[in-house]
Amino acid sequence: MSLQLVANVVVLAAIYALVSTGYVLIYRASRVLNLAHGELMMVGAYFLVATAGLFSGDPLLALALAAVCGLVMGMVVYVVLMRWMTGEAVLAAVLITIALGILLRGLVILIWTTQQFYPGATFGWRNPPVAIVPGVQISAASLAIVAVAILVYVGLFGFLQFTRWGVRMRAAGQNPLLAEQRGIRLHGVYAFAWGLSTFTASVAGMLMALDSGVESTMAIIGLKAFPAALVGGLDSLLGAVLGALIVAAAEIAAIQYVNPLLSDVVPFIVLLIVLAIRPWGLFGSREQLDRV
Amino acid sequence: MELRLLGTTRQRIRFALVLLVLVALPFVATPFLLDLANQVLLASIGALALMLLTGFAGLISLGTAGLLAAGAYAVGVLVREANAPFWVTLPAAAVLGALLGLIFGLPSLRLRGLYLAISTLGLHFVVIYLGGEYEAREILSTGIMIASPSIGRWSLSSGREWYFALLFFAGLALLISINLQRSRTGRAWRALRERDVVASALGIDVQRFKLMAFMVSATMTAVAGALFAYFRNFVSIDAFSLYLTVQYVAMIIIGGMGSIPGALLGAGFVILFPYAIEALAGLLPARFSNTVFALDYAAFGVVMILFLLLEPAGLIGIWHRLRASLATTSLRLPR
Amino acid sequence: MTDVAANAPLLTVEGLEVAYHRVAIALYGVCLRVMPQTIVVLLGNNGAGKTTTLRAISGFIGLDDASITAGCIRFAGQAIQGEPPHANTRRGIVLVPERDKVFPNLTVAENLAVAVSHRAGTAERQRLEALVFQFFPALARLRSQLAGLLSGGERQMLALGSAIVCKPELLLIDELSLGLAPVVVEDLVRRVSSIRQELGITILLVEQNASVALAVADYGYVLENGRVALEGPAAELRGRGEIQQSYLGQASGEERRSYRALRQRPAERRND
Repeated sequence: MSLQLVANVVVLAAIYALVSTGYVLIYRASRVLNLAHGELMMVGAYFLVATAGLFSGDPLLALALAAVCGLVMGMVVYVVLMRWMTGEAVLAAVLITIALGILLRGLVILIWTTQQFYPGATFGWRNPPVAIVPGVQISAASLAIVAVAILVYVGLFGFLQFTRWGVRMRAAGQNPLLAEQRGIRLHGVYAFAWGLSTFTASVAGMLMALDSGVESTMAIIGLKAFPAALVGGLDSLLGAVLGALIVAAAEIAAIQYVNPLLSDVVPFIVLLIVLAIRPWGLFGSREQLDRV
Repeated sequence: MELRLLGTTRQRIRFALVLLVLVALPFVATPFLLDLANQVLLASIGALALMLLTGFAGLISLGTAGLLAAGAYAVGVLVREANAPFWVTLPAAAVLGALLGLIFGLPSLRLRGLYLAISTLGLHFVVIYLGGEYEAREILSTGIMIASPSIGRWSLSSGREWYFALLFFAGLALLISINLQRSRTGRAWRALRERDVVASALGIDVQRFKLMAFMVSATMTAVAGALFAYFRNFVSIDAFSLYLTVQYVAMIIIGGMGSIPGALLGAGFVILFPYAIEALAGLLPARFSNTVFALDYAAFGVVMILFLLLEPAGLIGIWHRLRASLATTSLRLPR
Repeated sequence: MTDVAANAPLLTVEGLEVAYHRVAIALYGVCLRVMPQTIVVLLGNNGAGKTTTLRAISGFIGLDDASITAGCIRFAGQAIQGEPPHANTRRGIVLVPERDKVFPNLTVAENLAVAVSHRAGTAERQRLEALVFQFFPALARLRSQLAGLLSGGERQMLALGSAIVCKPELLLIDELSLGLAPVVVEDLVRRVSSIRQELGITILLVEQNASVALAVADYGYVLENGRVALEGPAAELRGRGEIQQSYLGQASGEERRSYRALRQRPAERRND
């Protein structure tokens, strides 16, 4: 593989990894698969379109504001909707997320139409290609995605391992009943998990918006990132990174050496292979299968 | 359990009335309404198929769109490549459906619930990709055109003719579903849904029944897909999105999981819903009414959420509650 | 802050009736009284209703579709039956469950850190955590060990420790000795007693092993088929023939039966 291809794989893996954090966070905390994640990511990107329009002279403010909106959005979704499904059958909760995704897709088009937006252009930023190594080029936004993905992972890992509330989130995921018995308010933990999840998704969406624009069909990337989370074992962050690398490598290789049309289906082929061989993923645990 | 389908005189009278209404409909309805009725009939087949799989046997599947596509493509490809008549394409679609049912069903031997749903999702994308591949290779940017099914000089093309044809197929699907529900297979499926560990302890060959559920459901769905192709005279992979699958899942949720009348009610609801929204959209400012499909998405999402939150037993649940409350108010049953 | 008059019980349960799935009655009017800073023990065989009683008191009654159908539970004068679990935890009622009592993929230190002490400030919480290591020195040694890898006795110590960090007023312990070797149990029981001394916690202990429990308790209730069959100060109960026969495995006088017949049924993983 040429170095350029490797670079492409790393960029795509960074996107998938960043988006996967959302799946992992929510699944780890509450065993729910959020199939609206792609749409929530898309809404985050549209938040940037809105804030860019308002603060076109101050990109950092626009980005920060959009990210905060992303965080709040997740918590609102939990408090208004998902909270009622806590304790109910997981499948019903997943179906609700599917319905939420559809609702969001409709709302986004109603508010912003099917037009494509380029928030980067609103800031006057031209997204120049950057040569990381002679002969290898990626766009500046792609470089940002990789950097941000690394930052987010380090941050999340630190949060979950070393902060009290991070450990509490892990505890709630392991044994919600015991967590309640030790004073941990599950609703609070879940709301925060959702907030963090949509925060990272929005950041991913915003960066992709800066790279290639915003369009109502970008939610599919969210769905394509899901196999990465699954390959890793749905509740492992480290697994999601590895899963993202595997899926991205497979996808780029397929596009390059077999057929460009395969791009959308390769992640799911990887998914099927993993489900056939080792359904609980690289770092998941066997009992997960039965818990569902 | 009542052994004969129409045991009491009351049931027979009800059935006769329903039959009368059904037969009279195409002669009194407008072409628009007739087309709506046809769409509902067609959707019922897929809805019943999904009800058998998910509602009865408890096997979650998100593969409906892929299976519909497979059936439609069986027709499309055979018509395009070999000019095959419908009495070849329809059975071919059924066979393809059975085969895919086997494939879609294999993961269910190892996986359950969410993981099973995810595997069917993956398979959906594979099927859609294959269809897309075919279209790209044959440079069919607008899909495959299909002539109406014909024997000799007569062809099935008018709304009324389609109505009776679809009534036949839907009725067949209904009959199959009802019979399966009452049969040993149906009981085995219900046992599967409850706890397949327990079922296998009771000596039920879990694997065989799971595969059977998938194959029967997939065959019905593929045939529905084939009928779609002929009904619209057109096959294109773009019509078979994940949203289509979600619509079918919504049909059995909104109708009421695990209930045959529920599947029919749900099919009616989901098919008619966009038209109701469109009618409402006419009342909204122009900006919204221009993107009716987005309004449709949004409204559909809201309705699905409402049903999942408030009335998980679906329309059938609402119906039963209404009946129960009417009964108690009129009879004044003692507490 | 609980407002308990000098001689008033901390916890009273009056006429408690609990049913599972709305039909299977588990408790038929149980009455208990727990005086502050005492150790009260609930004895009885499997299925007698001990765990159900604890669940009703702690608020975790919704499990297995159980509900309180009648009766009253008062804690520090306030009626608490039907309250959600986190409300009770806030009041200071902390439960150490029978199963799944620690977070297996967290370390010992993390297990302790995770507990939320609603009723203690930061300084006091630190003091409580230090106390836990004092009561259970073994835990200090195992600080970075994953809880899932601990032995049964160590796990029970950790479970008790994390309950203590919540600064309980009333500690509910479900099956302290289940699955543990007698030596370990004796040791645990001594520590539980010293915890009561030092922290002034009131303890309601559910136990199948009567001899162990009565050795440390102040008062005891014997449940049988969802009702209180016997009650009395621990010393009294220890002497009673029925208990000796049925629960302590000791034959008395002419009614000698083989030890095998008298021995308690082995611990089964069933709900009470």
